[in-house]
Amino acid sequence: MNQSAQLERAYRRLVACYPRSFRRENEEEIVTVLLATARQGQRRPGIGESADLIRGALRMRIGLSRAPRTVLNAVRLMYLGALAELGVLLTLVLTEGSIRAAVIHRNPGVTMAQVNQLNGLFTFETVGCAVVTAVWLWLAWGNGKGYALARVVAIVSFAIATAGIIGNMADGAELYAPAAVIASGVVWVIGLGAVVLLLQKQSSPHFTRHAPS
Amino acid sequence: MYSSTIYTVGMGIRPMQEATFLILTALADGSKHGYGIISQVAGISGGRVRLRAGTLYTALDRLRADGLIDVDREEIVDNRLRRYYRLTPEGGRRLAAEAVRLQANATAALTRLNPGLGVI
Repeated sequence: MNQSAQLERAYRRLVACYPRSFRRENEEEIVTVLLATARQGQRRPGIGESADLIRGALRMRIGLSRAPRTVLNAVRLMYLGALAELGVLLTLVLTEGSIRAAVIHRNPGVTMAQVNQLNGLFTFETVGCAVVTAVWLWLAWGNGKGYALARVVAIVSFAIATAGIIGNMADGAELYAPAAVIASGVVWVIGLGAVVLLLQKQSSPHFTRHAPS
Repeated sequence: MYSSTIYTVGMGIRPMQEATFLILTALADGSKHGYGIISQVAGISGGRVRLRAGTLYTALDRLRADGLIDVDREEIVDNRLRRYYRLTPEGGRRLAAEAVRLQANATAALTRLNPGLGVI
């Protein structure tokens, strides 16, 4: 295989990262431009142009290539929210054993029923964190794509979460460890930022593209 | 038609990203294909802005969706596809508005830098 054919094949592998609909219309043209801008004797794509193509493909795949800045930042915050929730999930999984041991150590008279109750609580919290992480990821994807439903779900979820936090605090704020309160606060602020950005006037046209006509 | 708010804020015009401004400027005097746009943008910016293919086609896709550019024609040269893009009337209006805005800012800056001499 000659150098040019080798380079073209490598470019096509990178362009394959783009969504199929975009490739169908633009692949030949992009490859033509890539080959036209290649250096004499170049055998493989450079790091810069590879990164540029992959970044463009990623933005197009998550629907952000046409999104206004406000939506772009809201989606970034949602991914941050997913990351924060994932952090909580990992902490729960990694510390579950030591927390259980500490509870039993401090309460020597703990019954089997209470241990089972504690295990059930851990399972509930772990599944809850996994579900919330998945919801954050779905919201980021859906809002990036411009689905109006995703925006509504984001706003409603935030309202429900806010009401839940207020309710829990009112019921017994003293029961919560400071770390748990701080973690909830950070995630709530991330959610608030995302919702405020989604409600900006500049964000609205991004969501009308997928609205029923 | 869908109109992106990348360019508009409230009742006014939001500043364009430089790459967008340069791509539209490259198309202002006639249709061009992808490589032609890259060359023109490099020339207009004095070699400072060198668009990569990924950036260019992401921008072209967005500009087409916003109705600021359109495909003019396609040609096959040496068995390779060349697609020519042109500015739409809306694209021309947005580019003109952005150019006026930039010129007004530049004039204000130069006037303040040289109060005694007026605009250079």
